[in-house]
Amino acid sequence: MSISSQSSLPAWTGTPSYIADESLQAIVNVAIGLGRPLLVKGEPGTGKTLLAYAVAEGLKLPLLTWHIKSTTRAQDGLYLYDTVARLNDSRFGDHDVRDIAQYIKLGPLGEAFERSQKGERVVLLIDEIDKADIEFPNDLLHELDAMRFTVAETGREIVAAQRPIVLITSNAEKELPDAFLRRCVFHYIEFPDEASLSRICRVHHPDVDEKLLAAALRRFVQIRAVQDLRKKPTTSELIDWLSSLRLSGIDAAKLEATLPFAGVLLKQENDAQKVFRTTLPRR
Amino acid sequence: MFEGFHSVLRLAGLKVGVGEWLTVTQALDNGLIGPSLKEFYSTTRALVCRDEADYDRFDQAFSAYFQGAALPTPVSQMLESWLDNPLAKPPLSPEELAALPEYDLEQLRKLYEERLKEQTERHDGGSHWIGTGGTSPFGQGGQHPTGMRVGEGASGRGQAIAVARARRFRNYRDDIVLDTRQLAVAVRRLRRLERKSRRLELDMPETIRKTAANGGDIEIVERPERRNQARVVLMLDAGGSMDPHVRSVQAFFSAMKQGGGLRDVEAYYFHNCVYAEIYSDMALLKKKSLAELTRSVPPNTNLVMVGDAWMAPRELFSPYGSIEYGTTDEVPGIDRLRDLAAAFPKRVWLNPIPENYWGESTIRAVGEIMPMFPMTVEGMVAAVQVLLGRGDRVAKRAPKRPWPSPQEMF
Repeated sequence: MSISSQSSLPAWTGTPSYIADESLQAIVNVAIGLGRPLLVKGEPGTGKTLLAYAVAEGLKLPLLTWHIKSTTRAQDGLYLYDTVARLNDSRFGDHDVRDIAQYIKLGPLGEAFERSQKGERVVLLIDEIDKADIEFPNDLLHELDAMRFTVAETGREIVAAQRPIVLITSNAEKELPDAFLRRCVFHYIEFPDEASLSRICRVHHPDVDEKLLAAALRRFVQIRAVQDLRKKPTTSELIDWLSSLRLSGIDAAKLEATLPFAGVLLKQENDAQKVFRTTLPRR
Repeated sequence: MFEGFHSVLRLAGLKVGVGEWLTVTQALDNGLIGPSLKEFYSTTRALVCRDEADYDRFDQAFSAYFQGAALPTPVSQMLESWLDNPLAKPPLSPEELAALPEYDLEQLRKLYEERLKEQTERHDGGSHWIGTGGTSPFGQGGQHPTGMRVGEGASGRGQAIAVARARRFRNYRDDIVLDTRQLAVAVRRLRRLERKSRRLELDMPETIRKTAANGGDIEIVERPERRNQARVVLMLDAGGSMDPHVRSVQAFFSAMKQGGGLRDVEAYYFHNCVYAEIYSDMALLKKKSLAELTRSVPPNTNLVMVGDAWMAPRELFSPYGSIEYGTTDEVPGIDRLRDLAAAFPKRVWLNPIPENYWGESTIRAVGEIMPMFPMTVEGMVAAVQVLLGRGDRVAKRAPKRPWPSPQEMF
């Protein structure tokens, strides 16, 4: 491999606001060391996207994000040729439209390659890759492997001098092709256990009342354990719920028998009823 | 390093090719993986698994390979003293051997842990406790056919093993029964797009060609939109033995109806087996004759049967086999199934009961007529491949527990 993937980057160890356990730290560092994209899956609200922000912050590198939609094509990540702007300029003529290069706009992947030529390493987040067409990941394979592509309109070749750190998130709405998976380092972020949840809550609510936190956590874990919820509450909903509890000054003891602000946690009518039925004491 | 581990991973059913394994060794060589076993566990898992459904298999392989470290130290030291100098005992006769209960790994592990909690002293030559030279499934030098060897160098490296042994990822295996979304994605693969719609769309290349030929005067060309032409005839077993599977059948049904984007989905119901009449409602009141259904089958029609195919043999093989009150059919159910098979070249049978029961005579007989798949994500994907005529890509799976054929039984 001609492009260096080894570098003098320090090991990533998480950030003050993003708590990463040892195994996640090890996996991130292995992916960086091997120069492979890191594919992250996990339940909503387990911090897949935030991981990219935390990696960039921890390593003090700029972050480029590429949010994938159902209409995104692989080409969009490399570059766009703005034909409409060129047509417009040719009619109102204050530019030299013979120079096509000025109408080529690099996409996130192209930009990551170009910045690496200037010696700047970046973290590239490809968010929710499963939103795109089934063939999308395959179309990216070559560019991710060879770290180069050619702008067909100008003949200019863009070559990365250093592999960008690529993080990819997926919600598993579509299966990803095998050839693509083979090139990735894969990690499934598990839903945090009660101890980690408590640590995460403390990061966001440093001065929270211990009793309230313990009672809220107990309730939260109990709700998540209810069978057949259509949408289980996530970490971010727990944090919002804590905010509401604190703002309204609710007493921790009250959480034993009632579920205030249930709407913050449970967004589906059926789920709410199921939780009320199974976890609240009968009157 | 760890060459044996590679083959254990493959034995556990993970697709670890040479490429993946080289990556692992590369990472080890470059010092990217720290010295702790826990770090080795999580990083190799990240390198060889491609889906969280693989995690359970990985955990099993990992604890199998590093088995010596499976027990926490204090217990194992005590155990070792019980297992020193094993008692020698004459071998058992085959009859005696056959009389011992067989256990699978899961049962064995549970039993073992229970036993371990209760046991307080050394035992030799017995049939129950963890000891030596006996017929208990646990211990050393014993003769239990499916027993578990305990001891030998428990080193207390335990942490990662304990993680692996917990098998927390069992739920992510893709042989669990489906949820709607995954199913809809699978069903969508059935689509056959053809330009048969009445709605028109702009035909861009043709418009450009015509416009150029026109010397620049724009001429718009339209063509019919592409539409999915795939049809599905669904037949669902509404018999009592299907009650435990109602939820998964419902999920399946709604995915077929709404998620698949199919041109047409017709649903029919039957009770245990198909006879001369099928029903278009779940209460089995509105009848439709089977002959009418099979008379003219439009092209691109897929037959998907859902049922456990588990019934009394006479319901399938005998004339007048129906147990439904008020229905009589002199043709055995199995021949009715053959009629269906002849009318629908594209057909599959989805079975919600676990595959290790498929050795049952009626299930096997139905499976010979209708390609049968488990009602799981894996099974659904394989079934769709068969419906698309790519069945050769699906590895044929033999029933895990062979049972006598109906001919042998009667």
